[in-house]
Amino acid sequence: MCVCSRFAKTRSRLLLAGCLLSWQTAGHALDLLDGDFQLHGFASLTLVTTTDNNFFGQSDNQISKDFSEVGVNASWRLTPALQLSGGLLSRRAGGTDDGGVRLDYGLIDWAPMSSEEGRAGIRVGRIKTAYGLYNTTRDVPFTRPSIILPQSIYFERTRNLTVSADGAEVYVERFGEGGTLSASFAYGQPQTDTEAAKVPLVGLDRPGKLDSKLAPDLQILYEGAGNRYRLAFTALRLDLKYQPGYRDILQAGRFRLTPLIFSAQYNAENWSLTSEYALRRTSITDFGPYFYNGTFDGQSYYVQGTYRLTPQWEALLRYDAFYADQNDRDGKDFAAATRLPGFTRFAKDWTVGLRFDVTPQFMLRAEAHFVDGTGFLAAQDNPNPQALRRYWDNFMLQASFRF
Amino acid sequence: MVVIAHPAITEDSIPRATLRAILGMRLQRWPGETPVKVFVLADETPEHATFSKSVLQVFPQQLRMAWDRQVFSGQGQYPEVVASTHEMLARVASTPGAIGYVKASEVTPNVRVLKIR
Repeated sequence: MCVCSRFAKTRSRLLLAGCLLSWQTAGHALDLLDGDFQLHGFASLTLVTTTDNNFFGQSDNQISKDFSEVGVNASWRLTPALQLSGGLLSRRAGGTDDGGVRLDYGLIDWAPMSSEEGRAGIRVGRIKTAYGLYNTTRDVPFTRPSIILPQSIYFERTRNLTVSADGAEVYVERFGEGGTLSASFAYGQPQTDTEAAKVPLVGLDRPGKLDSKLAPDLQILYEGAGNRYRLAFTALRLDLKYQPGYRDILQAGRFRLTPLIFSAQYNAENWSLTSEYALRRTSITDFGPYFYNGTFDGQSYYVQGTYRLTPQWEALLRYDAFYADQNDRDGKDFAAATRLPGFTRFAKDWTVGLRFDVTPQFMLRAEAHFVDGTGFLAAQDNPNPQALRRYWDNFMLQASFRF
Repeated sequence: MVVIAHPAITEDSIPRATLRAILGMRLQRWPGETPVKVFVLADETPEHATFSKSVLQVFPQQLRMAWDRQVFSGQGQYPEVVASTHEMLARVASTPGAIGYVKASEVTPNVRVLKIR
């Protein structure tokens, strides 16, 4: 049974990769129907090694190849006001993602109002969640500033809750002399039906399941002076219920997560400076005596600079900090209450990276992370919290290709 | 560099903000409902860089990032890339709703030049 499903997954992955390759050999991105139909995709492979702890597979003092991304998407513009789009994604990421092919997004976008000054419309279907500056294309290597996004804001661990949602999104854009002001409001069902969504919230080997209420997501974005300035505010609300399973030690608890994100970016010709700050209120109630209940405010931020050395080479420097509870930054109170290490409640990550665009289609990246704390590590790759090490380094190499 | 359009386009000038929205692949219609069709030269050509920086006043890599963000989240499409100025002129002249750019000295009579206002 297990072998069967593994075989099916490998087969679907191969199929996706095969499609990607055959499209590539047919030329570059395929444009049919006079350019109104477009097909694009990407693939990446990453090697990871860490001095301690595991990140994306068994990486502790060995090389993990368990991080790869393959995606294809199609879009069809039926009329100027109407576009259909869909994207498939296969992602392997250590114990958190197995490479099964899934619908990343699939939507109909209708913009009935459009003029020289702006446009307004609605998207219906599975919609990428607007969350900070990078989330909507978080799995596309070419759109990221680094191999992995700053984990304080874009956790790989809890990504499933914010990757996309099934519902509707209304949007308004105004094209002004100074810049473009956009606002979007989405209301949709987040994806909570996977182990990957459940484990970071309730832990490993829990028999119950998570249900989510429809989640509202608001983003306001100002892009000024030809995208030199990009300023954004995002507010998201997740309300999740745990349904205990057979002989569960947990009771029917509730998570309410309300991240607020402030984003700012300045783009000069050869360098960019980006910073995002998130205040994350988390309320955990009704799980009973065998769980860490409480309400606390998490805090996350990063400051990131990129510099284009030549048209093909770009360097990155970033400081990224995450605190699960800003009133217990070092995790001492948590450690006293749970006997788990306090350093699992924060992570401070200095990152340096290098990007080499061999061609516009082919990119190589190298990256080093020097980390204090394990706040963003996944339990699936690190099942024993007592075996975690507070100080650890992470080195990654990535090759990616797109069409 | 000048902005050129299909000869049936009635405008003779265009606000820079609107031009940015069109080249940014966010605005799909001309006033009067004709679908917009955007033609560009490859990112690495000097003509594209000059047009982006001086006419559009957007760095070409920012334009590329904006296209990528839309294409890979299902919100938009890429413009059509043409191989040469010659092809640019031919395609803009023959495609209703087309918009593109060429050097001022290369403009032919079968396309309309749009001024920036």
